This record gives sequence, structure tokens and C-alpha cells, in this order.
Amino acid sequence: MTQALLELATVSKTFSRGGFLSRERVEAVVDVSFRLDGDRAEIFSIIGESGSGKSTIARMILALQAPTAGHVRFRGRDLAELRAEDERTAFMAAVQPVFQNPFEAFNPLKRMDRYLFMTCRRFTGLHDEAEIHAAADAALQQVGLTLAEIRGRYPHELSGGQLQRVAIARALASNPSLLVADEPVSMVDASLRASIVALFRKLCDELGLSIVYITHDLATAYSISDRIIIMQKGRMVESGDARTVLADPKHPYSRKLKESVLEPLAPGETPMFAR
Amino acid sequence: MSAVPNTARLTTGRDTGPVVSARDLRAWYRLSMFGVVREVKAVDGVSFEIRSDEIYGLAGESSSGKSTLVKTIAGAIRPPLEIVGGEIAFNFMAGTDGLHRASGEVAGQVRWRHLSYVMQGSMSVLNPVRRVRASFADFAFRHMGLDRAGFEAAVVSHLARVNLEASVLDAYPHELSGGMRQRVTIALATICRPNFVIADEPTTALDVVVQKEVLGMFRGIQREMGSSVLFVTHDMGVHAHLTDRLGIMYAGRLVEEARTRDLFARPRHPYTRHLIESLPRIGDDKLRRGLEGSPPSLADPPDGCRFHPRCSFATERCRREVPAMTPVGLDHRVACFERDRVEASQ
Amino acid sequence: MFVVIRDLLRHNGDFLAGIVLTGFVVAMALLSFVSPYHPLDQFVAPLDVPPSAGHWFGTTSRGQDLFWLLAYSIRNTLAFGILVAIISRVLSLSIGLLAGYRGGWTDRILMSINDTFIVIPLFPILVLFYFVMRDNMSWVLLAVLTAFLGWSYDARLIRSVALSLRNREFTQTAVFAGMNTREILAREHLPFVLPIVFSTTLNNMNWSIGLEVTLAVLGFTDINRPSVGGLIYWANQHSAVVAGIWWWIAFPVGLVVMLFIGLYLLAVSMNEYIDPRSRLDRMGGQGR
Repeated sequence: MTQALLELATVSKTFSRGGFLSRERVEAVVDVSFRLDGDRAEIFSIIGESGSGKSTIARMILALQAPTAGHVRFRGRDLAELRAEDERTAFMAAVQPVFQNPFEAFNPLKRMDRYLFMTCRRFTGLHDEAEIHAAADAALQQVGLTLAEIRGRYPHELSGGQLQRVAIARALASNPSLLVADEPVSMVDASLRASIVALFRKLCDELGLSIVYITHDLATAYSISDRIIIMQKGRMVESGDARTVLADPKHPYSRKLKESVLEPLAPGETPMFAR
Repeated sequence: MSAVPNTARLTTGRDTGPVVSARDLRAWYRLSMFGVVREVKAVDGVSFEIRSDEIYGLAGESSSGKSTLVKTIAGAIRPPLEIVGGEIAFNFMAGTDGLHRASGEVAGQVRWRHLSYVMQGSMSVLNPVRRVRASFADFAFRHMGLDRAGFEAAVVSHLARVNLEASVLDAYPHELSGGMRQRVTIALATICRPNFVIADEPTTALDVVVQKEVLGMFRGIQREMGSSVLFVTHDMGVHAHLTDRLGIMYAGRLVEEARTRDLFARPRHPYTRHLIESLPRIGDDKLRRGLEGSPPSLADPPDGCRFHPRCSFATERCRREVPAMTPVGLDHRVACFERDRVEASQ
Repeated sequence: MFVVIRDLLRHNGDFLAGIVLTGFVVAMALLSFVSPYHPLDQFVAPLDVPPSAGHWFGTTSRGQDLFWLLAYSIRNTLAFGILVAIISRVLSLSIGLLAGYRGGWTDRILMSINDTFIVIPLFPILVLFYFVMRDNMSWVLLAVLTAFLGWSYDARLIRSVALSLRNREFTQTAVFAGMNTREILAREHLPFVLPIVFSTTLNNMNWSIGLEVTLAVLGFTDINRPSVGGLIYWANQHSAVVAGIWWWIAFPVGLVVMLFIGLYLLAVSMNEYIDPRSRLDRMGGQGR
């Protein structure tokens, strides 16, 4: 077996809330295990509703939170053991995030190109300004933009869809091997959403970039994922090939989830809540 | 229509004809930043009617002006928002021209009794520091004309319609789940059997499983009361399964309106068509394409048809002239010069 | 920045009044650089002359021209306020931003230190220091001391803003763009708290100048260094009010009150600029 790119081994995360006397324990993630292969890029979707623990998993993969039990390993290295500065830098270069709210992804008081240049400078070892600009431009072209369009511009000048593209380009600028996208299109308008979702598929196929796609939206997950897991209250209830699982979910919760999805009507279908 | 707000006649509103009608409504934000006036034409010439006993859907993306339209109809006009032109008429408020021009007394009588709201954030209606019972008393008691015991009984039986037990009345809003809270606000908005309910993204914050439940109950109550509903959401899936007729807004204007089923089956406006086609479906392996470009800034919208910069059908005429809403079939109107070409290309 | 100031001047009466009052006091302080007298010289002018063409603010019982002495005094007092403001801003910014961004134990430790400083009774401490240090008590030392007692409230304010900034997504973007803690605080978070820093600086100056005047009037500072409080101290020593030399008290008090009101109005109008809600109210009021 080749080395896994990402491996979660019986990972659990418990939060405790409240004061000294009445502490309440919340199990956000319970015994979740999965692995992404190192030699084959794929889009791996984690589907769940609010409170399913899917965002906590994202934060653990990004080493922003440590699991209470179990191990998160990236290329065989336990994230809990990343202490040295150069190890953390190498990890961040390889695993990059895309967040939910594109309007919040960049400091509203700063120009966006800074983040692109900074990412190139810190993670790719480039020092020459011209080289850094070329690298940033290359990253932007991956998402259908150019440096000329973004240069010197502030976040409020762009639409949500464009901002999310810049955010993805920023993540690509460090040449990562894994992208963790937490609800990346839930705040993007419907007419722009499809192109961002398609962009993830393109990045996976063309750059060989593995993507952990976290969403509550079964339809977009179906359209781009290779494999999925479905989470409910911190536990994995179903996993497998995206098409197979979503075409015929076995677990009662997955079925309920699928039945609740409201899709545009195909000819001959009756609306669920007709007069 | 003459504006004689103070002699407004309140009718039962159960007669035929549209419950709400808006004509050439224009509502702009006028911001004066230290002397420089900036106009944002959030609603710019919108006409539509909501009939008795129907759910009228309004779809649109961010900055389409749909939330401003809701504010305008609800009479929640505060600076910098201004109504620049046009008329709104309610059939339960004969002789007046919109809630914003009604006297405080008339507006007070009409609100909640004839017109009520369900908003996205249920907390804006439910008082977070008081029990749910208090919110019902505040909003509905004076409109119901019942004594305390009768009112309590009416509330309990109404809550049963949304599958809630009487015990929620003793709960504080934060003790309820999101879905329960939204059901409480729906019960609260419908207890006076209003003629007209405005529902603004009422299920957007809910998970899909809960959303399905809440929408089912919402339709159930509407059916029973025969109320008219303006249902606003950006989610085309919700529109497809819930609304009777559907209006699509783009950049401050209504671009298409039809019976929901017809709109999904035969969209005539390129934007509508794109909205529907770009939605992924489980079981359909085709990868969807997004729309190029971004919605225009309402402070500086393009001339002519506001969709033309993103439209593959656009001609020279679209760049110059504003297309009017034109009937193209039964209850179907569209604002597009190239509607025939759009239809032929399907 | 220039445009902001111009618009504030044009549309905000408070700001204009604040600029005029503070500007007058600052101009007075700057005049000290062209003074014909040395501030420590005594008996170089006739005694107890009321305000006149020759001596605009009159003279003191120690033979000093009050106008020029006051110019020196207000300069020293302003310098004290500015020094305290600078030191305490540096403290409150670094501690507030760090506590808010790091959270957890860092936050708890820094904030318990902060709360200790909030509850310390500062006036007795300053008086105690004066008695311990006596002749070694320079104004710079007093300023440093005052600054160490005067950063805590604003640090809490800055921390609360930093706490909310920490949870915004762009902070994570900065982390994953490879920025370290210092860069995130200085480049990403500092611009958000700068407006607060501006307005609290003015309030802090008012507070520290008030404190210094009080200490000086009571004689708990270096009384040989001219300051507004010191002037009033000497006037009291010479029973100026009883002797009918009202100008010796009236002009210093008047000038320091002008400074207080001026700084206060500036702080209020800056606050309005910073808080867009109150700005919108004002514009809505104009638009109707």
C-alpha cells in the first residue's frame, strides 16, 4: 500500500463548555476514519448538516485544532507532532484552505494581491519580485483570472464569485497537494456557483490536486465528488463512491437527507408542496 | 388612484381581484456622503400582482433588489431608502396607496391582522428574554378580540397546526431548536388569519431536513387560511416545490414571471434559463457551467437591458433600450427582446 | 485622511470647535520657542501688574511675565500628555492585540494583569512615588509612571476588537499565507483598531493632563519645572486670590479648560467618524 496523502484514524473531538462547576461536554466528532491516497488525486466530500462535525474535521485537517483522540496524519506524519517552524511551514504549503465566506476571506482594508505575493514568497522559495508576480499570475490563471485584473484591487470591488476565485488562486499559489474547502460555494450566488464547483473538478483533474470538499449540498457534492462520507451528529453514517451512495443511500439518515433535497422540477414531476 | 390615507376603508379582503398590486414601483437608496449624492436604484420599475390564495415566489440573487422590494411592500421605508415613484395597493386597505403612506393608526390596524411577516432570523420577532407566550400576546392579542382563556385556546390549537405542543409557550426562544423557532414564527404570523403574509428567506438558515418539514407546514397553513403569500428566497429548489407563481428579479427589475411549473419548463428569459440550467441535480452527471461576469452595481447599472453584458443573445437594441414585460402566454410575462430566439434555442 | 479632515471640518461643528480650541492652545505652546524670557528667570518684570498692553496676561508676584510663562507651562504640560499617550498606547496596543489574537492562557494572564491595573488606586500610588523619589522625580519619570497606570482600560477595548478579528476568515487567510503572529497583529489587525487608538489617545491625554495638573497644584511634582498646575501651585503659595491677583489663577485655569474641551470635542467628533452608525444618522437627518 502506498503512503496515504491524508489519513484520519479513529479521530474524535470533544469540546467542553461552561464554567468550572457545570461543564457540558459536546462530542463534535466521534471515531471518524478515512484516507486519501497519495498517488491518485480525488475530490473527497464530507456531507453533513449543521452540527454534524464536518467543519471540525476541516479544522483538524488544517491543524487548527487537535483531535481529543485518534490521529490525523498527512503523508504519514502525525499533525500533533508538527512543532518546528520549518515543519509547520512545509505543512501549510502542502495543505491550504478555502473558506466559506468569500467576502470575509480577505482583509477589507488591504489589497488582495498582497496575500498572493505573500503566499508565493513564504512557501515557494521565490525571492525575485518578477518571479513572484509571475507565480501569482500563474495561480490566478488557473482560476480564470489574471494578475492584471486583481492588481491593486480591494475586496469590495469584486463580486462573491470573483473573490472566491481569488481565494482559491491564493491557496494554489503555494503549490499545495491538498485543498480543504469548507462550504466554499454556500455564499456564492447560484448563477456563479456552478462555475466554481466546476473549477474544483478541473483543478483536481488537471493539477492532480486532492480536494476535501465540505458541504451540506448533496447536489453539488454529487456533481463533482469521487468519494463521499455522510456525517450525522459527529459520526460517519455512510461512505463510499459518490455516485453509488447518492443514487441509492442505505442509511436511514442519508435517505432522509436525499429525500429532503429540493431540486428544480423535471417535466412530469409533481412539486412536494403543491396547492 | 387618489391618496386619501386617513379615510382608508378596511375591508375583509376576501373578495376577488389581486390582494396586492404594485405598479411601476421604484425604491432607491439615496446616500449623501458629505454632500455627494449617490443613488442606488435597488427597485427600479417593478409591477406585479399577488392574487388571492396563492404563494407568489420572488427569486433573485444578492443585489437583485428583492429584499428592498420586500421592505417597500411591508412599508418599512427608512432613510436612506425612499420610494421614488409607483404605487402599491392592498385590497384590504382600499383607498390607500401602500403602507408607507398610511397613517400610523391604519398601519397599526392592518399589520398582523391583515398583513404579517416571517423573516429569516426568527429572533427578530421573538423577544429573546421573554417566553414565547409573551410574543403571542404582544402581537396577536389585541387583534383577536378574545378573552384571555379564549386567546390561549386559540393559540394552542393554532400551534398544533405546525406540530408544536402547548409547552413551547412556556419556553424561551433560545431553548427551542432552529426549526421549532421558525415554526413558532410561522404560527405567530398566521394566527390572525391574515390576508397577506410576507415570507423573507424563512428557511434559508435551516438544514434541508428541517426545511422540508417547515415548508410542508407552511403550505398546509396557507391552504387552510387561503392567505396570499409573497415568498422570497434565492433557492430555486424551494420555489420549484412550493410557489404557485414565480417572479425573477435581476438588478432591480422583474425580468420574468410565470406559473412556477411553466417557468421551469419553458423559461423565456436567458437569465432565468441559466438559473435553472446551472442547478446541479443528483443523478445527472453533466457538469454545469456558471454564468460569466457578475451582477451589475445598482449604483451604476448598464443602459438598456441590465442583463445584456452577461447575455449571449444580446443585440445592439438590448444595449440601448429597456425591454418591457410582455405577455408571452397564459400568466407568463418576460422582459426580453430576444425571447423568441431564446425559446427557439432550447 | 486629508479628505476626511476636510469633510469633518465642513460638516461637523464639534470638530471645528475642537480644532480651534486645541489649535489655540498648541499655538500658545509653540510661542514659547520665541519667548523673550527664560522660564526660570524671576523678578525680570514688574510685580503684580494686571493684564495690560505691555504684559498681556499681567505679571506674577515673582516678577514673571504670565503670558510667556504660561506658554512654557502649557508646552510642558502638553509634552507630558503626549508622552504618556504614546507610552500607554504602545502598551495597550501590544497587550490588547496579543491577548485578543492568542486567546487562551496568554489572554487570561495578560487580562489578569490588566484588571489588576484597572483596580489599583492610582492617585495614592503617584503621591507615594513622589515621597519616595522626592528630588529625583523628573517629569519623564512621572510620565512613564502615569503611562503604566493608564493603559489598562484601552487595552481591554482593543482586546475585545482583536477577539472578533481573530475569528474572521481573513485572519486564517493571513495565517495560511505564511504570516507570523507579529505580522498578523501589525499588518492585519492594527488598521482595525487604529481609529479607536486615535480617539482614546485624546481622552488619555485629557486624563493624564488632568492628573498632572492635580498633582502639581498640590505640589507633588517637580515644582521648579513650569507647568500649568505648577503655576497654580505658586499662585496659591502667594495667596494670589486673596491678594486680588486673579489673572495668575484665571489664565492658567482658562487655558487648561480650553485644552480639555478642545480635546474632548475632537475625541467625540472622531468617534462619530469612526462609528458609521452615528454618521448615517447625521446624514439621514440632512437628507430628510
